[in-house]
This record gives sequence, structure tokens and C-alpha cells, in this order.
Amino acid sequence: MNRRGLLSAAALAVLMSTTSFNAFADDAFWAKAAEPYKGITIRGVSESTPSSNYAKDVLAKEFSEKTGINIQFETTSWDQMYDKAIKDMEAGSGIYDFVYIEQDIIYSYLSRDFLVNITQSLKDNPSIASPTFKPEEFTTFANYFKGENGDLYGMPMEAFIKTYLYRTDLFEDAAVKEQFKAKYGWDLAPAKDHKQYREIAEFFTQYGQDNDLELWGTTVQASSGHPASFYEFVESIAPTFGVYNWGLNTETWAATVENGGTMNSDKAKEALNWWIGNLQYAPPESTSSTWDEVAASFSAGRAAQAFVYGENTAWIATDDTKSTVVGKVGVALPPVAPGVMEEIEAGKGYIGYYDGGAFGVPHSSKNKEAALLFLQYIGQDSVQVDWAVNAARVTHQTTYDDPRVQEQDQKTNGYYTLMRDQGKLFAGAPAFPFHGQLREAIAPFFYDAITGSITPDEALDRAAARAEEELTRLGYRKN
Amino acid sequence: MKKKGIVLPLVVWCVMTLITLLPIWWLFVVSMRTRVQLFGRPSLLLDGFYWGNYVEVLENEEFRFYLWNSIIVATSNCLIVTVLAFLATFALSRYKLAGEDSLFFWLITNRMAPAAVFLLPLFLLYTQVFRLGDFQLFDTRIGLILLYCVFNLPFAIWLLKGIMDGIPKELDEAAMIDGASTFQVLTRVVMPLAKPGLAVTAILTWMFAWNEYLFAATLTSVEARTITTGLAEFVTVTGTNWGELAALSMLTLAPALIFLGFVQRHIVAGLTFGAVKE
Amino acid sequence: MRSPVTGWLFLAPTILVLTVFGFVPFIYVAFVGFFDWNPFAANPDLVFAGVNNYRRLVFDNQFLRSIGLTLQFTFWVVLSQLIIGYLLAQLFMRDFPLKGLFRTIHTLPLLVAPIAVGAAWRLLCVPGLGPLPYYLNRWFGIDFRLGSFEHQAFITTVVMDIWHWTPLVTLTLLAGLSAMPKEPFESAQVDGANRWQIFWHIMLPLLKPVLITTTFIRLMDALRTVDEVWMLTGGGPGTATRYIGLHIWRVVFPQTDYGYGAAMSLMTLYLTIMLCWFLYVGLVARKPRAS
Repeated sequence: MNRRGLLSAAALAVLMSTTSFNAFADDAFWAKAAEPYKGITIRGVSESTPSSNYAKDVLAKEFSEKTGINIQFETTSWDQMYDKAIKDMEAGSGIYDFVYIEQDIIYSYLSRDFLVNITQSLKDNPSIASPTFKPEEFTTFANYFKGENGDLYGMPMEAFIKTYLYRTDLFEDAAVKEQFKAKYGWDLAPAKDHKQYREIAEFFTQYGQDNDLELWGTTVQASSGHPASFYEFVESIAPTFGVYNWGLNTETWAATVENGGTMNSDKAKEALNWWIGNLQYAPPESTSSTWDEVAASFSAGRAAQAFVYGENTAWIATDDTKSTVVGKVGVALPPVAPGVMEEIEAGKGYIGYYDGGAFGVPHSSKNKEAALLFLQYIGQDSVQVDWAVNAARVTHQTTYDDPRVQEQDQKTNGYYTLMRDQGKLFAGAPAFPFHGQLREAIAPFFYDAITGSITPDEALDRAAARAEEELTRLGYRKN
Repeated sequence: MKKKGIVLPLVVWCVMTLITLLPIWWLFVVSMRTRVQLFGRPSLLLDGFYWGNYVEVLENEEFRFYLWNSIIVATSNCLIVTVLAFLATFALSRYKLAGEDSLFFWLITNRMAPAAVFLLPLFLLYTQVFRLGDFQLFDTRIGLILLYCVFNLPFAIWLLKGIMDGIPKELDEAAMIDGASTFQVLTRVVMPLAKPGLAVTAILTWMFAWNEYLFAATLTSVEARTITTGLAEFVTVTGTNWGELAALSMLTLAPALIFLGFVQRHIVAGLTFGAVKE
Repeated sequence: MRSPVTGWLFLAPTILVLTVFGFVPFIYVAFVGFFDWNPFAANPDLVFAGVNNYRRLVFDNQFLRSIGLTLQFTFWVVLSQLIIGYLLAQLFMRDFPLKGLFRTIHTLPLLVAPIAVGAAWRLLCVPGLGPLPYYLNRWFGIDFRLGSFEHQAFITTVVMDIWHWTPLVTLTLLAGLSAMPKEPFESAQVDGANRWQIFWHIMLPLLKPVLITTTFIRLMDALRTVDEVWMLTGGGPGTATRYIGLHIWRVVFPQTDYGYGAAMSLMTLYLTIMLCWFLYVGLVARKPRAS
């Protein structure tokens, strides 16, 4: 997506705002600490998301100006990013000096010892430790990037929640509300449970047909050939039915009900049936939609409600060069099944995905010090606000209190407040060292369920059996 | 079977031409549209020239670099393959060598093997085995250039073998009697006669190397990425940027259009010659 | 006077390159196939597994399905291309205006990078953007969605491949037809044979060598198709177009199942060779063997 126009405007704003009073002292530090590395080029790779593009187009440029360290910053598709980063670290070729680490893959990376211990390295090299970088300012999200010893292995750079977006213009239209009430007997409002969500979906699909609109009741991230669909189910749908951690028993890594897992439990089956059932009220592109297309469909006004990754909230709600629903976006917590909220409050579950990522330095990097300087630069409190306004990501506690973030919060109908207040209901991916391997093994069953060649129940039964087989083979499963 | 009227072939070929050109025309149309123009009722007609997508792609440093890599890899591979195949076919057609039939057969089979079969071993060899100190073949242009020989050399040898066999042996024997060295026979006698064949070989191997995707995607990550892998980078997730994808696709197939315009006859000759030769 | 040493010297670089990059990988893949090796497993090292990986292959539904799909794909693709290619080549035997131009255009798909072919067809098929879903729906009422319907995706990959490679068949058969002697046809006509008899008893036998070569070339290429399909469907929907090349790629890279992937690679190579050998015996060498 072309976010360049917006970003260059943002770049200007940032350049003006950061040249404030204490900036001079900071600049002196960066120039001095970077002295030995002046002129070298460090290289990084990241997924092409609003947050990464901001880091590339704004922060990296600023950093280069202050330090004389050049940054070659690649942003590419999610698949390619993994492909490149993992291959580089596995081969130890040292191409990249910093890589994007998505929250869910950090355990695999740590188990392979790919990453440099940031805390320790800064202790060992006091000359490159910036006084303005304070790890304690991070939100609790940073804990996901800490090793067992509490040291930081990744510099948090984005964090957001996958929320329930709905069209306020439709939900608040008096005529629509009246019609809805007449048909379903309850007042139209963001769904609190799955039945309501389904009724809303059905209603607006019908509404779209009746009024000859390109409008459907929901959109679904259900690409039948891409892991995005698998992720939507295990991260965002299954938990709201009370199925957590992909349905694995985290003690024994069992997946089937008979062995103590929940992957093919009745709740999981209910969840998958519900989710796949939503496809009948979704636009035709849904079965080819990954995370980007879902955001694109919603921003094109083709869906009345959807689950959308939070990083997209800001542009969908505020950027009229790309979105046709500016000012018409409401955010809410996803609908949940009865009893799930209680489980979450008891600390047993979560409502959806607290997603995000960090930059880490691979051991194979040949310019670790320069890369660590850059990582600290983006980890400073002072660069956070504009980044948050542009990309709807928050990694520092104080970012929420800034007036500009609060202003943006208004425009997005409270996305930032939701993240601050309800963020605790969400969770990052479970600590699986076998994340990618298991996903590849079982995702095809979900694809087949989407196309309808097997039933959802069958898909889960087979996926659970296959998961156990794979985990046994990989040597993790305990009986 | 001759001259039975021209209506049928004309009609059929007009339809065929439309079908052949449709996907490429559509690529071009999409590459000429802004994002806003793309959605809605798909019109097959060009609604004006808009170069923004091409500018965007060409201004992107990474894609320029990929383009450059593709040019270097394809050109080097084509030179190496043509020279080696020339020498090899000369040897095969002029010398009596023990087991030369089996050797020829083995050389040719290298082309037949499914590429996917060799992905894993080559990836592991390139990253872990073929290395000298800090240097490894993974993600280097030379790694790709050498690898492309595996499927281009057999093709070139197959093509040139027929041409070599077609050049009368008496000519080089006569030159030898006149006191020419083997090298002189090669460059002064055989090469001029084999020139058209060599040109076709060079063009086709260049195209194959330029078009290759699977190995380039697997055995490179940054330094040696080629234009075809750049294309794949667009599609997987940034699914909405169709205009730039189309523009990059057009750039990828530009050499095909150029070659076809200039040397169509030879390409057809080359492609069919290899197949018709028994 | 021509010393074989010089000959071998000329051949040496070729043999060297093909050995290192063609033969060594083959040995290496055979070696890795006997181990359990997944760098993300609890034990990331190579563990000797005997023939376990091969045993696992036999019961692996995904793998068998991929093989089956690949064979179906290959069958339809090669058959259609031979028929269409033959008919088109016959038309090229006649004289008509602009023949050269038509032939040039017809050659074009052959030179287009497979990945770009995939991109072009994908653009034709995207819902809401491409003309295919739009016009199919408007003219025939077909709900065309590659993401949802397996048979549509399968057929689209076949059609795409036909678009891409029929020209090769046309051109080779055309060359074969042009080189054919005229006398047998003329004498058959004199003898009063009908068109079908001429085709069956004269044309086919004469064309057989070219036909067989073409078939084999297309067969090999169809069996190894990856790029276009990867770009068009990514192997989906579900696993409906996950042909063997794509499947191996998924097992080897995202899933990093090296040992099993190696066994799968070797098995695929073996199956390819066997298939070709059977066809070869069936089509070419049906005469009784001397020994």
C-alpha cells in the first residue's frame, strides 16, 4: 500500500517536533557514540506495515542524519520477510544487522539462539548505551521479548490489538436501527456475542442487496491458501469461544480431547463452524483475503463489521486518500461466548491477539554496535508519539497520555483507550518453539474447511491428530 | 492439404491472437491505471497513459538493484554456457571418446529433473557445505550463475550438437592439413559456421536465466535477488498494490518482447530445432 | 591425430560444473533422506532414521494427493496441448495473409517468465478487479472465485498452462509437418484412402518421432510446474493446486522438515523417472527386445 504521501508529511512534522529544547544534548550523545561507526551501513528487514514503513521513512533517516550511520531498510511482504530473515540467520551469512521479530516467532528464535542479548550488550559496551533509552518505560508488551533471565532480546517497535471494527454510520442510522429492531427484536449495537454478530452480518448483507450496495455484513480473513486464515481462527476466533493456545495442552502438548487437548473440542468446533458460517455474509474476496485485504475491504466500505489488525485502524479511520470510511469507524471488544470473560478475569484465557513485533540483532551481524544504537534510538520515549499517531502502535506507557495521541483516539472512536484499558484482555501468541512447523502441518485442514471440501468438525479432528503426530515427531510431545 | 481457402485459418488465428495477447494486454492496462481506477467495472480498454506505477517501481532502489542482478546473472550465465557448450559439442562431435553416448545422455538428463527436487540439497550445500572461510555461495550472483548452468548447459549442448554435426568434418580436417592448430580450427573454421546456432543458443539461455524464479527465490536473500523474485515479493501479502505489480511484470517481460521483435525467426528455429532433432 | 585428451579437456569444464551442481546435490539429498532433521525440533541435529522417512511417505495423504493432482494436471495439460497444437500447426501449413505476424505473436508466451505469466493470470482473476470473474458472471452467471472453488482453481491452472505452452507444441509439430515427404500422401490419395485413414496410417506414423519428443518435453515440464501456480493460487484453495513442486517447497522451507523433505524429493525424482520410462517403453520401444 502506498503510505508514502502520508509518511512524508508525517516526517516533516516529526522533524519539527523533535528539534525541541533537550534535543541538542541528545544529538551530542548520538554523534559521539556513533563516531567509531560513522559511514558504515547497517541493514535491516521488516514486514511492510504502517509501523515499519514509518521507522524506515522517518526514524531511520533521522538517525542517519544524527549519527552518520547509513541504514538500508528493506520492507517487504510478511512471507518474504521471514524467508529472508530466517535464511540469513540460519546460514549465519550476516547480511542483516537487525531483523523484525514478530511476537509469535520469538520463542523459535530464542530456542535457536539467533539473537543478541540487548541488555547484556549494552552493559558490556557502556559507550553505546544511550541515556535517553529507558527499558522500564515500555509497556508490559516488552516482556514478550525477554529471555528467561529477564534480559531484552528484541526492541519492541510495534504493539496493537486485533479489534472488532464496525461502521458507525450504519450502526447509528435511525432508519437502519428501526428496521433491525423490527427484524431481530433487539437494538442494533456492536455485537456482544456470536449470535448477535451473525445476525448483524446477515442483516447488512441483506441490506446491501436490497439497496443495491457493494456492502456485506462482515468480512473474513479466510484466504484458503495462506496462513492468514489459520491465524485468524486460532488467535482471534477460538479464544472468544474459550479455546486458547491453538487448543494445545501446554503441559503435554496434546491436541486431541482424548489426550487432554482442546483443538477438536466441542467449543472449538462451534467456533470453526461459526467462523466459516460467516463467509456466506462476506464479500467474494474473503476466501482470498489475508490481513491486508481485510483492511482493504473494510476501508473500501464493503463490510459493516470485521476483525481487523489494529495497525490498520489509524489509516482506515483517518486517511481519506486511502479509505472511504473516514470518520465512520467504531471500535469495540470482540464478541465472546458466555463464561469466557470470567475465565479471562481468572487469568485463564484471553479475548484476542495482542500482536506486535520488535527489532533484534542477529548474532551473525557484523555491525552489532551500530545496530544497537539504532534500536535504542527507536526505543526512546521521545519518538513514540508521532509513530503512535501514524501507525496506531503503542509500546510506551506514557504515549497514551500525549495530547496528540488522545486527539487521534477521538478520531478512531477510542482505539487507543481500548488498547490501554482493555489490552490486558488480549495476549500474544503462546510460547511455541515449533510455531511455524506446527502451523504448516495443520493449516491445510483449515484451508480445506474454508473451501468446504471437508466439514469444520472433520477439519479439527484431523488437525488435532496431525498436530500430535507432528509434535511427537519433533520431540516435544509428552505423554 | 494445401491452399484450401484462407478464411478458416484467418479467423482461427485472429481469435488465437486475441487469446494470446489478452493476459499481457491486461497486465499493460493495469500497469497504466491508478489505484482508484482499478476497482469497479473492469474495462479492457486503455483509459489513458499513467506512468506512476513504473516510476514508483523504478525509483525503488531495491527493484533497480534486482534488475541489475538479473542482467548480470543472465548475461554471465549465457556467456559461460555458450562457450562451454561450444567446446563440449565440438569434443563430442569431432573426437572419438570412450562412452561418449552415455556421457551425452547424462548431460541431457540434468535438464529433465524436477527443479523442486534440488531445492533442499542446493540450499543446504550453498549455506553449509560449499564455503570457504567467510565466503559461501548462498546469496551470491556467482552461485546463481553456476547453478543455472545445470539446466542451461544440457539445453545448449542438445541444440549445438546438431549444428556441430551438420558442419562437414572435411572442412576442419582440411584446415588441419594446412597446419592450423586445434584452437585455430575452432575459432576460424567452426565458429563462423556455427554462428547462427550460437546466437540462438545465447539468446535462449539468456531468456531462461532471466526468467528463472524458483532457485533465485531459494538460494538468495538480498544480495543476489533477481527481478522475478522481486515480483513475488509484491504478491504474497501486499495484495492491494496491483498497479505496481503489473508494471514490474511488464518490465520482466520486456526482453521477451524485444528479442521476439528482432530475432523471432531464429528463436522459433532454435526452439523447434532442439525438439525435432531425434 | 585427434587425441582424445584434447577432447576430454574441452568437455572437462562442462562435466565439472554438472557434477558439482547436478550430481553432488543428488547424492546429498539421498544422504539427508536417511535422517530426521528439523532445525526447529527439540533436537535440531541430524538423527539417523533409516528408511523411516520413506515409510512415512507411503502413508502421507498430503504427499499422495499432491502426486495425484500433479498427474491429473499433467495429463490434461499435455493432452490438450497436443490436440490444440496439432490443429494449429495444420492451419499454419496453409497459406494465408499475415502468417508471419501470427506466428510471431503465437511464440510470445514461450518467452514470458513463468512468474509473470502467473502474475498476469492472477490479475485476470482477482475478484472485484479482474475481467474474468466479472464477465463470466455477467455473461454466463458463473460465480468465479479462485479462493473458494477447487475445480475452478484447478481448471484455471490448466488453462493457464495451455496458454503458456501450446505454442511450443505448435511450433515443433509445424517443423515436423514441414519436413514430411509428400509422396506417401499423394499415393494414398490415388489409392482412394479417406482422410481418417490417411491421418491414422500415414500422418501419425510419420509424425511419431516428433510427437514423442514433444510429448516428453511437455511432460517433464508439466510435472515440474511451480512458478506460475505459485503466483496464481499459492497452491490453494485448500490444497487443490498444491502440485508436487509446491508441496516440496512448503515441506522444506516453511516447515523446515529437511530429512522428510529430502526423502520426498528423491521419491519424486524416482517417480518422474519411472513414469517417463514406462511411457518410453510403451510408446517407443514396443518392439520385442533382442536380449
